[in-house]
Amino acid sequence: MSTKLFELLLQASIYTVTISMVSILIGFAIAIIVSAMLLSRQRLFVLPGQIFISFFRGVPLLVQLLLIYNLLPVIGINVPSIVAAIVGLSLCTAAYQAENLRGGFASVPSGLVESAEMVGLTPIQIFRRIKAPIALRLTFPALVNEAILILKASSLVSVVGIVELTRMAQDLAGSTFLPLEIFASAGLIYLAINWIVALAGGLIERSLPGVPR
Amino acid sequence: MSVPAIAVKNLVKTFGDSTVLNGIDLDIAQGQVSCVIGPSGSGKSTLLRCMAFLEESTKGTIAINGEVLGFAENAKGVRERLPAAANRRIRAQIGMVFQQFNLWPHMTALGNVSEALKTVHKINRKDAEERAMAQLAKVGLGGRANHYPSQLSGGQQQRVAIARALALNPKIMLFDEPTSSLDPELTGEVLNVMRDLAAEGMTMVVVSHEIGFAATVGQQIIFLDHGKVLFTGPPQEVFKRPRNPRLEQFLDTYIDRGASMLL
Amino acid sequence: MTFDINVIFSHLPEIASGACVTIVIWIVAALAAAVLGFLVAVARRFGGVILDRVFGIVIAVLRGTPFLIQIFLVYYGGPFVGLSLDPIPAGVVGLSIYGAAYFSEIFRSGFAAVPKGHIEAGLCVGLTHTQIVRRILLPEMTMLVLPPSLNMTIILMKETAVLSIITVPELTATLSAIGSQQYAFVEALFVLALFYWGLVEITGWLGRLAETKLTRFRFFHI
Repeated sequence: MSTKLFELLLQASIYTVTISMVSILIGFAIAIIVSAMLLSRQRLFVLPGQIFISFFRGVPLLVQLLLIYNLLPVIGINVPSIVAAIVGLSLCTAAYQAENLRGGFASVPSGLVESAEMVGLTPIQIFRRIKAPIALRLTFPALVNEAILILKASSLVSVVGIVELTRMAQDLAGSTFLPLEIFASAGLIYLAINWIVALAGGLIERSLPGVPR
Repeated sequence: MSVPAIAVKNLVKTFGDSTVLNGIDLDIAQGQVSCVIGPSGSGKSTLLRCMAFLEESTKGTIAINGEVLGFAENAKGVRERLPAAANRRIRAQIGMVFQQFNLWPHMTALGNVSEALKTVHKINRKDAEERAMAQLAKVGLGGRANHYPSQLSGGQQQRVAIARALALNPKIMLFDEPTSSLDPELTGEVLNVMRDLAAEGMTMVVVSHEIGFAATVGQQIIFLDHGKVLFTGPPQEVFKRPRNPRLEQFLDTYIDRGASMLL
Repeated sequence: MTFDINVIFSHLPEIASGACVTIVIWIVAALAAAVLGFLVAVARRFGGVILDRVFGIVIAVLRGTPFLIQIFLVYYGGPFVGLSLDPIPAGVVGLSIYGAAYFSEIFRSGFAAVPKGHIEAGLCVGLTHTQIVRRILLPEMTMLVLPPSLNMTIILMKETAVLSIITVPELTATLSAIGSQQYAFVEALFVLALFYWGLVEITGWLGRLAETKLTRFRFFHI
């Protein structure tokens, strides 16, 4: 297999990485809102939050992407397919990240909150200065894991016409009749990207001061 | 007669079906060091936590320097929850040291001690850190101010926790089994800090298994069993001449393990 | 925008067939993956260092690449190494291997979580390796691996949708086809989403029920 083909794959992988990273960030922002809804303990907010998480974790990503891609034009929103793809990925990762955040907050040892109460911090101050920083540190490994999952899941946006790594591999395999080499190379590129993300995640995690044991 | 530092009246605490505190009446005098001793499950920690309003009592009242904390109860037994801001203000007179230290892991020792000064009392960073440093030096950890809790030994962490509580100039200090999580050779450094604190006249309530500390530093020993105060008195009366059979039984287990000062 | 549910009702036989294919592939692949994953986990633990390392690399590759790429390799690349499979068998093979990689990690964690002391006690009273696995390791492991196994089974069910891309006539392919032929995308996709959502919720509920029933057999407290 020639290097030219490999270069094409690498170029397409830039789309993969970009789409994934954007989706993760948007998903994180949505997850914070959904988590806040769950933590608010008001039925008005908790129920929609739970339904959101249940739906986007229960329906396969492929179906979610097809739904959004076909639904938006029907209700009058015409966006480029890449936007639909990012919206789909973001909503999906938001549901998983909201669950991770929920777990993170639940894991903050109650003693740390009690000692904060004893030195006089108000509930809002406790949330800002103690609970949130510690919960985020506890959630970080799950966040890195989610990043890797989204990078793999981004392969599905190929069905809504985005030419990222998998789509490029499909097109090349079809035109060169070298599916083994092409798909194996694509797989290697995915592996490399995931490995780098895991490595970076591990380094960042080690540099964060003190996670409670 | 000055008002008691802590006045506990008819305190009852139930968790579901089990009654942990069964009607406690207790006074802690100003400047007095009280040690609460008793078998496991007797309710010692729960009593302390109720005093700090970390647990909500089921019946009865707690008054700190004359002001009722948490729940007010009238003569007919009708309870009323007091406003959160008032409770926070009254509770500010109390400092608490926990068995698990409960230092915030994402802040340095200095950060832990200065946090409340900055966030609650809005003291500027420089002054807050100066006060915090002074407190850390007082417990012998001036050189470790920039260490994170994970870089400190258990004894050091507990001393930082004490400094953190002291930085807010409390009138009363509560200690919930402060040395129970420590390796034996590290308990000494913490007990010494507590000893110095007592010598300065701080009002202290200490729940602990350290009978030696209770016998030498304690002024009022409170023996708790199954949620009731069975006996209170000065160390002489409690340890050298126990008149209560349950108390004798409890102390015997310590003599078996070589607590010779009780003989 | 019109929402014509009759489109769905008039195609019920096809939809039922698609749903059957989804469920059959799911169950066959999940079972195969669990069995294969278990065997690999056992091989890694008891089969020596080289086997452990080799399997380790294979599993890392399977877990680090998208399922879609793996399916393409099996379906389009297979014929080049003498493996010409129809869509459905290719789908089952691909899903089974993918699932086995994850199941092997689940079982591996399960093995490791059983306290070493329990194994040593078994050795001390003279049990052979096989006896230890059967009488000590497996029972204690079962409670530990149940929740992640349930999770993985649900994930595999959702991944069957991806098989539509290699023309497996499962539910996603069926409803997408109906949707595009009848210009009724929205209805078709909503039904599709509801089907999976319902199946996931039901499976999850049944699984949690099984967990609580089996807690009686917990051998030790974590």
